[in-house]
Amino acid sequence: MTTLPKQDVDGHDTSFVYVHREPGPLRRAAPWVVLGLIVAALIALIYYLGRDMAGRPASFTIYKVTGGWLYFLGFLVVASGVLALTSLIGQRVGIQRTGKKIKYSAVLGVQLTHLFLILVVLIAIYPLFYVVLAAFDPKNSLYAFPNFDAPTIIQRSGLLPSFSGLSTENFAKLFDGVQIPAWELVLAVLAGAAIAVLIFTAAVRRIRHAEEGTTTPTQLWAGRVLVAALVILVIFIGPAQFTGAGTESKFVLSVRNTLLVSGLTGALAILLSTTAGYAMARLRFPGRFQTLLFFIFVQMFPVFLGLVAVYALMYGLGLLNSFTGLILAYSGGAIAFNTWIFKGYVESLPISLEEAAMVDGATRWGAFTRVVLPLSGSMLVFIFLNQFIGTYAEFILANVLLTGVEQWTIGVLLKNFTSGQFNTKWGIFAAAATLGSLPIVALFYGFQGYFVGGTTAGGVKE
Amino acid sequence: MTVSRTADADAVHRDRARRATPPEGTTGVLIAIAVLAVVLGGAALIAWLVSGAVASALPKAPPYLILVLFVPLLIALMLTALRLLPWLQSWYYLVPALVFLLAFTALPIVLTVNYAFTNYSGQNSGAGDTALKTGVSLSTDRKTLTFKGTLPGDEGTTLPQFLGCAEPSCAGETAVLYDEEGAVPVFYKIASVGGKSVTLLSPVAPSFEVTDATRLNRIRNVGLSNFRQIFGRASVELIPVFIWTVTFAFLTVVINALAGLILGILLYNPRLKGRNIYRTLLFLPWAIPAVITVQMWVALFNQQFGVVNKALGLLGFAAVPWLGDPLWAKVSVLVVNLWLGFPYMMTATISALSTISEDLYEAASIDGASRWQQILNITLPLLRNSFTPILLSGFAFNFNNFGIIYLLTQGGPPVAGRTSTAGSTDILLSWGYNTAFGASGGQNYSLASAIALIIFVLTLGISLVNFKVAGVFEEARK
Repeated sequence: MTTLPKQDVDGHDTSFVYVHREPGPLRRAAPWVVLGLIVAALIALIYYLGRDMAGRPASFTIYKVTGGWLYFLGFLVVASGVLALTSLIGQRVGIQRTGKKIKYSAVLGVQLTHLFLILVVLIAIYPLFYVVLAAFDPKNSLYAFPNFDAPTIIQRSGLLPSFSGLSTENFAKLFDGVQIPAWELVLAVLAGAAIAVLIFTAAVRRIRHAEEGTTTPTQLWAGRVLVAALVILVIFIGPAQFTGAGTESKFVLSVRNTLLVSGLTGALAILLSTTAGYAMARLRFPGRFQTLLFFIFVQMFPVFLGLVAVYALMYGLGLLNSFTGLILAYSGGAIAFNTWIFKGYVESLPISLEEAAMVDGATRWGAFTRVVLPLSGSMLVFIFLNQFIGTYAEFILANVLLTGVEQWTIGVLLKNFTSGQFNTKWGIFAAAATLGSLPIVALFYGFQGYFVGGTTAGGVKE
Repeated sequence: MTVSRTADADAVHRDRARRATPPEGTTGVLIAIAVLAVVLGGAALIAWLVSGAVASALPKAPPYLILVLFVPLLIALMLTALRLLPWLQSWYYLVPALVFLLAFTALPIVLTVNYAFTNYSGQNSGAGDTALKTGVSLSTDRKTLTFKGTLPGDEGTTLPQFLGCAEPSCAGETAVLYDEEGAVPVFYKIASVGGKSVTLLSPVAPSFEVTDATRLNRIRNVGLSNFRQIFGRASVELIPVFIWTVTFAFLTVVINALAGLILGILLYNPRLKGRNIYRTLLFLPWAIPAVITVQMWVALFNQQFGVVNKALGLLGFAAVPWLGDPLWAKVSVLVVNLWLGFPYMMTATISALSTISEDLYEAASIDGASRWQQILNITLPLLRNSFTPILLSGFAFNFNNFGIIYLLTQGGPPVAGRTSTAGSTDILLSWGYNTAFGASGGQNYSLASAIALIIFVLTLGISLVNFKVAGVFEEARK
């Protein structure tokens, strides 16, 4: 699927020639020494944490089960025993059916791996599940007092809410007083339809096991309609439409602000880094290496280290509390990394294409715009998405530079829900967090290949 | 006739070709940098002068006018320079990126270094001290201000003391004047003071009705005093915060890498059915913006009502003070960072594993190596190549991972004996942030800049090691 530069891992792999050398005793002991140190540190940590816990009051007795961990351990042992039995049966059946020799340990290993992974998935995903449920449960709201009337202890503790009390009350508060003209509604419906088409076609392709990496015309058009509708909506939705009293009624506005800032920062990153990356890769002139070093050097300092100076600069320019100021502040941090990535990509393209174009009379600039840019679509998408997602989740600069509610990005708005001693709005936070993370989750899963490839392509920076 | 014309054309062509090749060597670099500096600096200077002139004529003109003027000026100057020196063309590919880098990354760095040696703070911000605003009357020649009533401050405050003058004559100092509305302060230079009246160097503009005056809280150069303050209290703030920053970054990387490695190796097993489902689900913590999920964990970790303690209660454990105890808060930060970071490490492991040739494993199993031996002797050594840069960049990233600290614990809980800006989970960066922008920090911008300068130096060292290992410099030289 992805066409990202592959110089990184492949380069190491192909040049690897194994020469066997018996490791020395120190080298052989090293893993065990490290393991011993880790275990010792863990024991020390547990000792200190245990000493810290001594004398602390127990949690609410209503959901405290004395010795509960023994039950859990028992469950694990029983589950492993059951798996050991089923594996034995599976192995025998497999040998009978296929006539091949199947190792018992291999079957049991796979079964135990499943058990382990299911536990890990449950622990990792449960917090998200809990937040989504809390968003629909006005009584729970992440932070609730235990419910004494619930029938089972699990429900009493609030780990599993009573499904009867679910409502969309929290979501309604987010849309309180929002006025949406008809044409915007039409566009939103259009965007929704495009998303539905995209999901449907993707599902169909999954089922049919179609080869990846190609897009059908339907998908292409659905994507275009979606992007166009979203761009128009983001540009034309304005603060005047949000007449609700509380800060929570500005939620849609904050999503719009975040999308606007992230989109423009992504576009600016492409605009600034492509020409520079191309020049670094293809043009040879005195000063190229020094400039590249300067780029790398400046990139070492995250923009937010100079936060005070950025604040003073934006104050001096009169751009505090404006998107322009925020985007300009982000742009400084967006250039060097993307230039570096694009340079690597251009170097992976065959130079003969540009040479052919230039023999045919194209200028350097023509070779860049007509040959290199059309070939780097996937790279541009990667740069845009990476910048977009990074900006969407940025908090510190937005928090300092944006002072008015109407300019807040989603991170700043959410922080407003959760800070304060007595007026935290956890239910609304849960609803806003659920809705606010949807765009990024959709992007992540829609372009999964780009990010998986990006982990190895961008060895320079996370 | 035709012959001479072609000869002419040839000469022009040759001349153009000569000018199209840049001067070589170090001289070439210096000439190019000098030309670019003249072009950029010239555009910036003209934009500054013009916007200054416009601002004095139209006080309502926006301050960002300088940016609006700068762009067309830069383009015009660039085109002129290209006429004279066609070899500049190659540089022009870099100009957009260079301009933004200089303006919004390099300039803030320079300013930060500058602030670190001043007393810049919310108090000393280079503006008039509105708290000490006092009524004044203006003489008829519009040059002498007389203060009405007693001066604010301690009993017997004299005028030079009130104005914060370095010398009793106050010559060359600045007074800040306000009109009835008090919205726009106006700055005037002082010629001399006597008694309760101030003589200005130039008469006040006729359109301006002076009613109040105050002193200027100017930003002064204080030398190394910010650094003396930091290092003087190093044993209670700088050193513990630095140790925790390094511990946090190191442990996070190690724990995340271990979790990612284990899960990645388990999930790469082709015999495992449904591994794509596991992978997709475990991807989720990475896919959701951290700015949202970290705040979610604040609720989950609540001591009384949080779901984590409820689950622990079911297992029979007491309520853990996740965010309320210095040691547990550190554990919480690491746990949340593990939750946020393991999918990245897992994905990196899987994509690195997919580059290892299957032949190696086949050869090993023919030789009778067990699965465990294969992992120990083939997988891990080969993973080291692609993991080293990832681990190092992870360390550099977490060294300045402000977001998780600020959103989860706000650096707290506080530690007795330290200033409230350096709590038990504060890393260097959040300490600096609290000093400048935190409620408890007193807007001490210069101290925050000094802290930022220390972080600069540390980050520089880490990044240099990073780039050396990742081969960035060789890559750049290619």
